[in-house]
This record gives sequence, structure tokens and C-alpha cells, in this order.
Amino acid sequence: MAEMTVSRLWLMRAAFVALCIFVMFLHLLPLDTVPRTWAGPDIIMALAFAWALRRPDYVPAITVALVMLLGDLLLQRPPGLLALLVLLGTENLKTRARALREAPFLTEWSAVALVMIAIALGNRLVLSILVVPQAAFSLGFLQMGMTILCYPFVVAFTQFVMGVRKIAPGDVDLVRRGA
Amino acid sequence: MAKDRSNGEDYTGPLRRLLMGVLLLCLLAIFLVWRIDSPRVERFRAQVTDALVPNLEWAMAPVTGFVNLIRDFQSYQRLSEQNRELRSELRQMQAWKEAALQLEQENARLLDLNNVRLDPRLTYITGVVLADSGSPFRQSVLLNVGARDGIMDGWATMDGIGLVGRISGVGKNTARVILLTDTTSRIPATVQPSGQVAMISGDNTAAPPVEFLENPDLVRPGDRVISSGDGGVFPAGLLIGQIAADPSGRLRVRLAADYERLEFLRVLRHHGAEPIADPSQIVKPVQVNEASDVSEAPDG
Repeated sequence: MAEMTVSRLWLMRAAFVALCIFVMFLHLLPLDTVPRTWAGPDIIMALAFAWALRRPDYVPAITVALVMLLGDLLLQRPPGLLALLVLLGTENLKTRARALREAPFLTEWSAVALVMIAIALGNRLVLSILVVPQAAFSLGFLQMGMTILCYPFVVAFTQFVMGVRKIAPGDVDLVRRGA
Repeated sequence: MAKDRSNGEDYTGPLRRLLMGVLLLCLLAIFLVWRIDSPRVERFRAQVTDALVPNLEWAMAPVTGFVNLIRDFQSYQRLSEQNRELRSELRQMQAWKEAALQLEQENARLLDLNNVRLDPRLTYITGVVLADSGSPFRQSVLLNVGARDGIMDGWATMDGIGLVGRISGVGKNTARVILLTDTTSRIPATVQPSGQVAMISGDNTAAPPVEFLENPDLVRPGDRVISSGDGGVFPAGLLIGQIAADPSGRLRVRLAADYERLEFLRVLRHHGAEPIADPSQIVKPVQVNEASDVSEAPDG
């Protein structure tokens, strides 16, 4: 039984990384080379939060940091900044995971939305303090809104397709052995 | 319940907190180093892209092809309408073709008369677009040619018709092209026929604005915009597009290159304009042995 949970733990950790790389792959497809007036959601961030709130042991800090750093490098963002902010966000959510476990989904959603808004504002603030040229405010704002809106879908995918569910009180033993 | 609490302590234990701190510091350090010494980190970024993206090519090509197929299929629905449009366009084109042929002959004759030598070193390498920037905030594409093919930073990139962008970031097998529409793109240009010099500065829209025009009154919508070659980084005379005015009256460039479908791009080899270093010399009469003493005496 312990073997099962350990192998499942590593399998799910690998699944998270694979999922994120797949999302980056979709972003990189040379389909739209014309500037767009809208921005899609940041799926990787939403995935990290959804998994961190459900099973913190599936998304250790090092995984989140490396995946986000890779995203920063591949998707032409300032390297390190968004990774840092998302890492802080996931760790913050992990500490609140227990409190949010019994709460209804709406509470979880608003908590995640607050963290996402904080990340977007923090990103913008740091970039403007260091005078890094950045895109129009509306575009960043739109991306943040889209990420918040698509969070329920990411959660549904996480729960029903990937099978990452919140830990029921009886499952705690399994988690302990796995972690 | 006791176990539950110890589980939580794992996450706040001192070792974990230390690791967390190290991780955060590392990320912060990467960001600050990027801000201080951006070229080095960008080179690292190019290397990472170079190592990863070509490996995905086998998967990217079919998926891209498939999506484009679906898009094409959607356009079949308005086939008859398009057909009619094309017919009327074709009629106009035939008139233009006639004019172009005549002009071409005339141009060739004039070039011949003036003994003009076109720049023979402007050869090109053609590359295939591997990936785009992947972010709505940046406009760039990745080509499958790199340092291995002799690509260098700053070279101009065109599709068949017009300028697309410049090379910025070269890996071993890949090179990144910053498109004219990117917010960091600045290209010195000349507006023909008035000869006004301006900057084409991208702002993440499809038609970049024209800036630093000395006399905007001389520039009209429809004027041709070509690269001016000022600064010596870019070859002169590459077609960029046509002037257009947006509803607020600001002058923008409607780009000549087809940004909807960037598939194959030409990278123009350019080795910089040759600087004229030595000052001009006085033209003296040819020195003959007996005349030399006479001519140099008055100069002192």
C-alpha cells in the first residue's frame, strides 16, 4: 500500500510537470503572429493553485519554481519575477489549504482570485519600479481576469480528469506515508 | 488529528523554510541579474530555447498544419463570395501588371544607363518559423536557422514582400526574430516620395505608429515606407509598408509583409555599412621628378 502511494505521488508530480509543458507547447505553436487585442488565461498559474489547494504534496515548491522559470524563459517574460510571485502565491495557498478544505468552492475561488490579483499588481509594480518596458495595462488586466474566470474549469479538469481531489479526513494516513 | 497537525508542521518546518528561502532568493537573483546584465541572461534564454524547442518540432508541425487546415476549411464556406472578389481583383491586377512590365523595362534601361551596381552582398538565408513568442505581450517568432548557419544578431528578416523584423537572440540551431509589431522594435525608415526620415516603433498593435517625423504635413496616407539604413545596423531600401492614418489622425504603417501567415522568412546577410575612416586627401597633380621641388617649395 505504501509502495502504491509513493509511486502514485511521483506519478502525479510528473503529471503536473508534463501538463505544464504541454500548455507551454500549445502557447508556442506558431498560429497567431498578428498582435491580438485580447489575452488568454495563464493556465499554468491556475493549475498550480488548483493542485496546491487539493494536494500540496503533488506540487512541491521546487516543481512550481522550475516550471514557472521555464515558462518565463520560453514565453519571453522577465525571467524569475513571475516564478517568484507564483511560488509565493502557492505557498500562501498551501498554508491555507486546510482551512479551505471544508469551505465551499466560492470561498476557495475568491481566495485564489485575491492571490491572482495580488500577483498581477505585484508584477506590474516591480516592473514599473525597475523601469522595464511592459505591455498595455488593459492587456495584463484582461489576462488576470481570464485566469480568474477559467479557474473553475481548471479545477473541474483537475478533479475529474486528473483525479486530484481534496483529502477527505479518512485519507490523512495515506498522505502522511506518501509525504 | 495529531497526525494531521504534524503533516502541517512539515510545511513550516525549519528545513523546509530554509529551502523555500533559498529558492525564493535564487529566483530573485535571476530576475535582478537579468535586469542588470540583460544580454547575458538573454543569451542563456536563447540557449534554453535552442535546446528545447527544436525537440518539439515533430509535434508542432502537424498540430499547426491541422489547425491551419481547419481555418482554411472555414474559409471554404464563403467560397463563391471570395471567387467574385478575386475576379474583380484580378481585372485590376492585369492593368497593374501591364504598367509594371513597362516600368520594369524602363527601370532596367535607366539602371543600365547610369551604370548602377546593386549591392551584391545582400544575399539571404531562408528559415522556417518554428514557434511564436507564446505570449500576447511579446511579438516574436523563432526560426530554425541559427549560429550554425552564420546568423548574426541585428540582421534584417523579410518575407517575400516586406520587412518582418530583426534577429535578436541567436542559439546554435535557432534564432529569434523580434517582429516590427513588438513594443521593443525601433526601425529607422524613410517615407517616399517626400524623403522624410522617421522611426517605426512597434506598440503591440498590427500597424505600428510612425514617430519622430520632422514634417508630418509632407506625409500622406498611401506613401511608401522603406528602411533608411541610418545607424548602419540595417540595410537600406527594404520595403516596410504604406502610411495609413488611424481614426485619431495618428500616422501608422500598414505593413507590407503578411503577418497572418509567417511560414518562411528570409534573413538578409548584412555586414554593416563600410565606414569612411580616413579624411579626404588633397588632390595633387601627378608628381613628376623635376616638378616636385617647385611645387613643394611654396607650401613650406
